[in-house]
Amino acid sequence: MVASFTRDGALTLANYGTVWRLYTRDVVYTVAVAAAGTLLTFAVAIPACGWLRARAFGPVEFLLKVPLFVPFVVVGHALRVFLSPYVPALASSWAGIALALAWKHLGLAALLLLGAFRSVDESYLEAGRNFGASTPRLTRDILVPMAAPALAVSAILIFSSMLASFSIPLMMGRGSGPQMLMIDVYYRFGQHGDFATASALGVVAYLLAMGAALVYARRLTAS
Amino acid sequence: MVASKRYPLQQTSVGTLAVRAGVLAIAAFVIVGPLASLGVWSVAERWTHGSAWPQRFGLRYWTRMLSSDFLEPLRLGVTIAVIVTVLALVLAIPLGYALARLNVPGRTGVLLLFLLPQAFPQLPVFASATREFYRWGLAGTVPGVVLVHLVGGLVFAVWTMTAVFRSIGRDLEEAAWDLGASTTRAFATIALPLALPGLVASAVLVFLYSLDEFTGTLLVGAPFVTTLPVYMYTASVGYELQIASVTAIVLMAPGALLLLLLERFLKSEYLVFFGQL
Repeated sequence: MVASFTRDGALTLANYGTVWRLYTRDVVYTVAVAAAGTLLTFAVAIPACGWLRARAFGPVEFLLKVPLFVPFVVVGHALRVFLSPYVPALASSWAGIALALAWKHLGLAALLLLGAFRSVDESYLEAGRNFGASTPRLTRDILVPMAAPALAVSAILIFSSMLASFSIPLMMGRGSGPQMLMIDVYYRFGQHGDFATASALGVVAYLLAMGAALVYARRLTAS
Repeated sequence: MVASKRYPLQQTSVGTLAVRAGVLAIAAFVIVGPLASLGVWSVAERWTHGSAWPQRFGLRYWTRMLSSDFLEPLRLGVTIAVIVTVLALVLAIPLGYALARLNVPGRTGVLLLFLLPQAFPQLPVFASATREFYRWGLAGTVPGVVLVHLVGGLVFAVWTMTAVFRSIGRDLEEAAWDLGASTTRAFATIALPLALPGLVASAVLVFLYSLDEFTGTLLVGAPFVTTLPVYMYTASVGYELQIASVTAIVLMAPGALLLLLLERFLKSEYLVFFGQL
């Protein structure tokens, strides 16, 4: 942290200047990939968990939790070999990274969402069903609004985790073009030996994670 | 009468079954698909670009891996994981007990402090740790990697041990104190045995964390300490996809086993920790 403000022993903002010059595109890219991954995770997890809330079905619930136990590096490699023979373009692109991140976080999302959905009182669902509402309808109009705070917390947790992800982009990334921030930190530090700029990049990543939390806190106090 | 009454019921149950089968099939493809492709790759002796399926299958990579290359990273990884687990528990048992029982000032603060590194990007932290370690001659050594794993493992251990000790009612211990047992004796003969199942769960968590930890090992351990995840990464990036796939399966096995065996016993708050592996 302190190192990000010093260069050759002097206090300076030059490191942030370097970040601004070289990495603005990567910051945008990282936020975009993390946002896409979060959206994808929830696009799958919300209907799946709504369905599971309405009718418990063990095998599917079990499958959804499997990614929790698969380490990040293994996910990166697995998605890489899964995609590369069939859709090689996807295996090493931003979409591939987002897909792998979403796959890994599906377990966490399912765990958190199922907990939140199950704490919604059964009587609301009964009432909805009596009016003939289908499961997707129940999910959209009852479960999601009532579990909104928990949903927001899980979304922020997952978003910051994706921002900070290192091993999945490392396994699936390409040599050229924009990179995820953690990859930049790694190469700045590991290959250029430039700890100061690496720290500045790290601080930027912290701020982004904190920014997400702040947006959430703002919305909480506003409503 | 009976038949006409049963008919719609049967129809819905067939419909429900079909929906269930459909959802199960989708979930199985999405979740199992990538994992299954690891299995296919691990036995693919020849799979050229553009082909939809391997041309030749065989166990050559498995036998090669299990006989030579692979045993050293496996042995090293398990050794590090055992050391980390023992150290983490030795520290976490008194710490967790204190956090659960005693009115330590700033208790919430301590717990938050432990959670903070998990919520924020870890890589910059590892990078600065590596730099410090270079100064102390710990970079690239096994003690350095143990230290890095210990910091992460302690988070799991302290959190779970605090929860475990909190879930044990304190009346039994109070009864022991009333009968003249010292605090230490009451802890050793009552709280500790009752906490044993939680202790085991905590140990398994820390062990798996250390075994699967990649980022910290890559930074601090490079270039001399190669555990399984680092070995897998090197193989995958070097396009030795079969070797990487075999390693990936071996890495996944303990976690999968745990999921199958312990799903019923593990509380969901423990499961959340796995999301960070």
